[in-house]
Amino acid sequence: MTGPYQGALASVARQRGILGAMVVDANDDIIVDAAVRHGVKAPTVAALAASIYRKARQSAGAAGLGDTTFLRMEAEQGHIFAAGRGALVLIALAESTVNVGLVRLAMLQAASGLP
Amino acid sequence: MSDEVRRLSEELARDPGSLVFLQLGETLRRRGQLDLALRVSLRGLERHSTNGDAHDLVARIRADRGELDRALEAWDAVLRLVPTHLGALKGKGFVLYTQGRWQEAERVLLEAAARDGGDASIAAALAHVRREADQAGASGTDDTDDASRGSPAEEARTLFAEALGDGEMTALLIDADGLVMAGVYPTADGDDVSQEIGAELCGVSDEVQRAMRHLALGRWTRIAFETDAATVAMAPAPEGGLVLVAADPALPHGLVRRVLDRCGDRAAAWLETAGARS
Repeated sequence: MTGPYQGALASVARQRGILGAMVVDANDDIIVDAAVRHGVKAPTVAALAASIYRKARQSAGAAGLGDTTFLRMEAEQGHIFAAGRGALVLIALAESTVNVGLVRLAMLQAASGLP
Repeated sequence: MSDEVRRLSEELARDPGSLVFLQLGETLRRRGQLDLALRVSLRGLERHSTNGDAHDLVARIRADRGELDRALEAWDAVLRLVPTHLGALKGKGFVLYTQGRWQEAERVLLEAAARDGGDASIAAALAHVRREADQAGASGTDDTDDASRGSPAEEARTLFAEALGDGEMTALLIDADGLVMAGVYPTADGDDVSQEIGAELCGVSDEVQRAMRHLALGRWTRIAFETDAATVAMAPAPEGGLVLVAADPALPHGLVRRVLDRCGDRAAAWLETAGARS
């Protein structure tokens, strides 16, 4: 692990149940840096999750709710988390058994440290 | 001590005769520091005994402390000073409702509704009171006086009132086309912006549905996002619809999730009943 965002990624990826964490450019959904387990389709996860985060931001802004800081999606077989900072979005893919509270804290902390 | 409390405390210390105690007391009340909030507000009241808002603050703190009779006394004091005080009418109505004094509660809430007919929380409280009064067989009011009572529109507006309780939350049921079917989303000014909120936010679930398909994560069960002004949680509803709960960002996320589940159950039951009726 040598990338510039590995500190932030590692703090999220070390949480139990996390399958992968990535820093994504919020404008074009391209991965800036990632730490993912083998088999995770990182570009697909990044593109879809960043797109959802962008949509949530736009919708919340249009609805007068202000800026979106954190997003969580729960599905039958897993979770996706996203936390934004400026032009970057920190994204994590997790198993359904993950501790949501711990991941949320780790994500917010890691996102606040993104340059 | 939070920055806000510290700032207000310092301001009050600099000018003990100012009305900043109202802000400080309210901030402490919202933070659940009720003993301190009461001390601050009673001290302020000593200097501003003819200020209706000061009595109103004391009343709300008393109500939060479960001292309902003393809260009523304080709200009566407000109404003696300012007979049109909306907060006092609402507060008094709520306490009377809590005490099972349905007719008195209805009378007070009707007065509040007359002052601000657009306040969704008053409409919801009135619907509650009337439902309870009907169940208790204690209501002596004439149904024909209010054409909106028990109407489908009123039923839809107040669908989630019971599930939401008294917390700072609101809920909507949105259909597959982004149209609001039930619930209200009142602003601080009392305007109902549910259609705007529903239309804007339902697009998020479309996006999530697409993502879950591609990622093979199964059906989505909940989405939650945190914004500056609210925590928004959504869950799928029958017939491609969506249940949405928006809550004060200070409320615990676990509580918001439970309320979302309760609203989802309520919406499903309501849609089933509506389907059976049609």
